[in-house]
Formats: sequence, structure tokens, C-alpha cells
Amino acid sequence: MIIRIALLLMFAAFAVFLSADLLLWLAVPGLPGLMTRLGLAVLLSAFALLLITGLIVIIKLIIAANFDYFSARQRLQRRLWFIQAKQDQLNRLHYFRTLQINYFNELKRKRLLSANNRRHIHSLSKAIDKDLHSIKQQLSKTTYLQLQRENIRYRDQQDIEALLKLQQKIATIV
Amino acid sequence: MTTLINPVISLLKLFHSVKDENLHWKKANQDQQAKLKHARVLAEKALETELKKKSVQLAHEITLLRTKNDAELSMFKTKCKQDIKDYKQYLASLDQLKRSIQASYTHLPEAVAFTIHHHAKHLLNQMWEAENFEQKMQHEMQLIKFMTTVHEDTRLHLEGETNEKLPERTLNLIQQK
Repeated sequence: MIIRIALLLMFAAFAVFLSADLLLWLAVPGLPGLMTRLGLAVLLSAFALLLITGLIVIIKLIIAANFDYFSARQRLQRRLWFIQAKQDQLNRLHYFRTLQINYFNELKRKRLLSANNRRHIHSLSKAIDKDLHSIKQQLSKTTYLQLQRENIRYRDQQDIEALLKLQQKIATIV
Repeated sequence: MTTLINPVISLLKLFHSVKDENLHWKKANQDQQAKLKHARVLAEKALETELKKKSVQLAHEITLLRTKNDAELSMFKTKCKQDIKDYKQYLASLDQLKRSIQASYTHLPEAVAFTIHHHAKHLLNQMWEAENFEQKMQHEMQLIKFMTTVHEDTRLHLEGETNEKLPERTLNLIQQK
């Protein structure tokens, strides 16, 4: 209905413009200017009416969308999605917590192992040092010091293979 | 002027006839439209009820899941603690094994005792890091066999049944690997 009125106003405006043209052609003084202004006013009011109609339609749509967004069905649907997301989150959290516990457990075990390794490497190094000391007289001072340095270095590096080789080397000297 | 008015009148008539048609159609289908509207409202209500039921059910499931997860985690923690305790005990028993072999073979070089102990630890780690139960069992059997051999060597040496200066069976077992 409003669009119809706007269209009618537009047609009326064009009719007024035509009549203003006609009056101009007939050379009637004063009246064409007035008619043109009237036509312009009618045309503008038609456009304003269209604009207002558009705005009203948009506002109506926004209100309808709002009502739909806050409707019971949509609220329940969102609540359901929230609960489902929460469930997924719980499952993920459980998985990662398990991984975390496993990681720390493994770390603890590795620490125990390395402490044990360190202790036994230390006792092997001590035995090597003792062997070295017992053959000190048969070795030159530089060789003795070099072997001792090697022993300390391999012990600090926790190099088991090298320590065993060093022990064999000392045993062959004996 | 009449030539202009006639098409306008016919246009108006056409417009009115379309309106009439529309009104007739609405009147004829009024019942069906009302039924449709009613059905839509009913469907909406049914959907709401369904959603409400589902969300209550899911909330209940979440409570159950949380309890289950907590219980599982606490069990897993206890299992891990026990694992660490077992590992510590294994390491202690391997240390004991080294001490007993050193006590039995008094002139045993430290390097040999270290090698035996290190090999036992290697077997223990293989057992611990096995990915499935079968492999774990296999490695456990190897470790048990190795420890038994070491004890056997120690016993034989202590009882004087052998004159070997080194635990030969144990060393052979290490070389086989």
C-alpha cells in the first residue's frame, strides 16, 4: 500500500513537471516555477516515503530476527550445542591429562635410571682409578696423567663404552 | 481523452480481478492454512520438548563422564605410582645382583660386574618400554632367564662346584645378544 502511494506520488510529480513544461511552452509567467517546486516537493516526498518504508521493513526484520534468536527453540538448540561442546572438551581434557601423567611418570623413571647409571659409572671409574694407581710405577708420568684425565672425562660424559675400553687398555698394560 | 482512460480502467479492472481471485483463494484455503499454522505450532512445541529432553540427557551424561574420567585418572595415577615403585624395586634388586656376584667372585673385575649389571638394566628397560603385552612378556622372560643364570653362576661358585674365575654362563648369555 505504501509503495503504491509512493508510486502514485511519483506519477503525480511527473504530471506536475509535464504541466510545468506545458505552461512554460505556453509562456505563462510565474506559474511554471511554482509548479516545478511543487513537483520537486512531491517527488521528494515520494522518495522519503520509499526510504521510510525501507527503514520500517529493515527494523521489522531486525526485530523478527531478534525474536527468533531468543525464541525457546533457538535457546534450547544453543544450550544443546553448549553441552555437546562441553562433553567434547571433557573428553579432550581427559586424553591430555592422561598424556601428561604418562609424560611425568616416564620422566621420573628416566631420572631414576640416570641416577642409577651415574652411581655405577662412578664406581667403575673409581675401580679404574684404583687399577691405574696400582700400575703407576710402570707408566710414565705423562701416560699416567693422560689416562687419569681420560677416566675423569669419560666419567663426566657418562660414556660407558669409552670407560670399558679404558679399563681394557689398563688391563693389557698390567 | 477516452483512449487514455479506457486502458487505465481496464488496468484497474485487472488489478481488482487479481485481488478478488486472491481473496477467493484465501477463503477457500482458510481451513488448510489454519491447520498448517496449528501443525507448525505443534511441531515447534514437539521440537522444543525433544531438545529439552536431549539437553537434560546430555547434562546427565556429562556428570557421568566427569565421574568416570576422574575415577579413571585416579586409577591411572595409582598405576603410574605403582609402576615407579616397581621400577625402583627392580633397580634395587639389580644392584643387589651386582653386589652378590661381586661378593661371590671376589676377584671379579669391576668392569665385568658393571657389564653384567648394565646388561640386566638394558633388559629391564626393554621390558618397560615394550609396546604390547606379548613383547613385554618376552623381555620379562629374557630378564628372568638372565637373572637366574647370574644366580646359578654365583651359587655354583660359592658351593665350589666350579673353578671358573668369571661367571662364564652369564657372559656367554650377554655375548649371544
